[in-house]
Amino acid sequence: MTDQLVEQIRDAMRVVIDPELGYNIVDLGFVYDISVVDGAVRITMTATTPGCPAVHFLKEGVASAVVRVPGVRSIDIVMTFDPPWAPSRIEPVIRASLGFAAVN
Amino acid sequence: MIGASISRWTMSYFAMALAWLFVALALMVARVGFPAAHLASPDTLVLVHVVCIGWLSVAMCGALLQFVPVLVAKPLYSEKWALPALALLTAGLVALLAGFLGLGGRLPAWLWLLPLGAVLLTAGFGLIVIDLGLTAWQRPTGPARFVLAGLASLCATVTFGAIFAFAHAGWAGSIGASILTSGVPLHAIAGLGGWLTLTAMGVSYRLLSMFMLARDVDDRKSSMTLAAGALAISIAVVGGTFAIWLSSGLNAVLSVVAVLGLATTILYGRDVIEIFRSRKRRQLELNTRMAVLSFASLAASGLLGVMLVLTGAFAAQLGAFVFLVIFGWLSGLVLAKLYKIVAFLTWLETYGPVMGRAPTPRVQDLVAEARASKWFVIYHMAVWFGTAMLLADQPSAFRAAAAMMMIGIVGIIREVIRTRQLADVQSPLRLPDGACAPHLLFARS
Repeated sequence: MTDQLVEQIRDAMRVVIDPELGYNIVDLGFVYDISVVDGAVRITMTATTPGCPAVHFLKEGVASAVVRVPGVRSIDIVMTFDPPWAPSRIEPVIRASLGFAAVN
Repeated sequence: MIGASISRWTMSYFAMALAWLFVALALMVARVGFPAAHLASPDTLVLVHVVCIGWLSVAMCGALLQFVPVLVAKPLYSEKWALPALALLTAGLVALLAGFLGLGGRLPAWLWLLPLGAVLLTAGFGLIVIDLGLTAWQRPTGPARFVLAGLASLCATVTFGAIFAFAHAGWAGSIGASILTSGVPLHAIAGLGGWLTLTAMGVSYRLLSMFMLARDVDDRKSSMTLAAGALAISIAVVGGTFAIWLSSGLNAVLSVVAVLGLATTILYGRDVIEIFRSRKRRQLELNTRMAVLSFASLAASGLLGVMLVLTGAFAAQLGAFVFLVIFGWLSGLVLAKLYKIVAFLTWLETYGPVMGRAPTPRVQDLVAEARASKWFVIYHMAVWFGTAMLLADQPSAFRAAAAMMMIGIVGIIREVIRTRQLADVQSPLRLPDGACAPHLLFARS
């Protein structure tokens, strides 16, 4: 049941994109962890650049998307830059289309 | 703080700056100022200050109001000072220009306008320096140190400028008069080399790394670049002032400054190459490709400067050298980054608040790079042609170059307006439910 909810949350988060890279944050590998305990959701995520004004909107966007998932009672989003995001976290098909160097 | 907020007045600064750039180009096409008039003539003073204060400084201040909080990951000291500062800068520049026009006999000789302009400009830049300085000082590392050095240079530039303005009005005594006679090179070096160039260098390190997902330049390397640049400006300002006081001439000081300036340019070139080599995004966006053209102009300025000094023609060709620095390097870089910053801020303002509730476009969907690139190329080609025509002493052909630059700028302004109007975003992504179309001249917040 919890695994299913985690997958529903992950799917809901795909509406949130990184505006620069243009792909959703799940496939870009921004989401480090999703944990659910009795409907209380804790998401640990990152972004490409600390201090960037987009970071606040990414966090708010994730909260807006996840709150609509049935079964979610509360949301806690932890923004972290440790470890820093790296292009190796991107889904391989998308990485190629974004024009990233193969050795990342 | 995990992310900076959107600066409400950055768009207003950009709009005002572009309007002044248009005025500057119109003056050149209309043969007002250099090369139609002498470099030290009142008409040239009008042209130079429209470009350096109206265009470059206002654009740089607008960009820094948004960008310094990003650099230091701290909020701006005071968002409330941004609009009064813009009003003071604009009023001060208008008064200064009217004073210069009075000096040249185009308006009644109300020379009190010059000190009035200086006071207003000092107040406007003062607000900016305090606001950005206190913000950057919270975490003075990496590129933020370049901004602090740039702001210190701005203080020196404004101080020299204010002394000149009071001296022109006869209110600065014999000391003011002697500084006016000899100190103009120091004012120009502090402004173009310190305030505008050092700040542009610092900002470019971070912007290039951010948009190409490259490693930040090693702190020790960028420190060396900054040390060379800051030393050059310090020697120009302090050593130059002493030289004027001792009536010993500026040649020795200017020679040392030239060598250090060239070293700064070379070190900066090394740093930029390192950023490009370590980039993770291989495809370059328009803003980066066009920034490369401005780097080429910076390198060409360095080479041109060396060649002119070696052939003894530097004094005679100073106008061509300064033209390439101002329009090729500084304006080229500012235009490229302005194009990107407008798209990025417009995206944040329009689509940031609805993220998670509706599908949103990418930042790149707000621009049409294939269409925009030709205006940038026209602009840069015109600048290089204009420089060549100045060197060849062909004022008529230079006017044609200025007209070509104007065509490029009008094209770029049109692209930026289209970005603000979301004109290139396809439906249904253009305005999802809950999204507000942005205002052209300021950010809704």
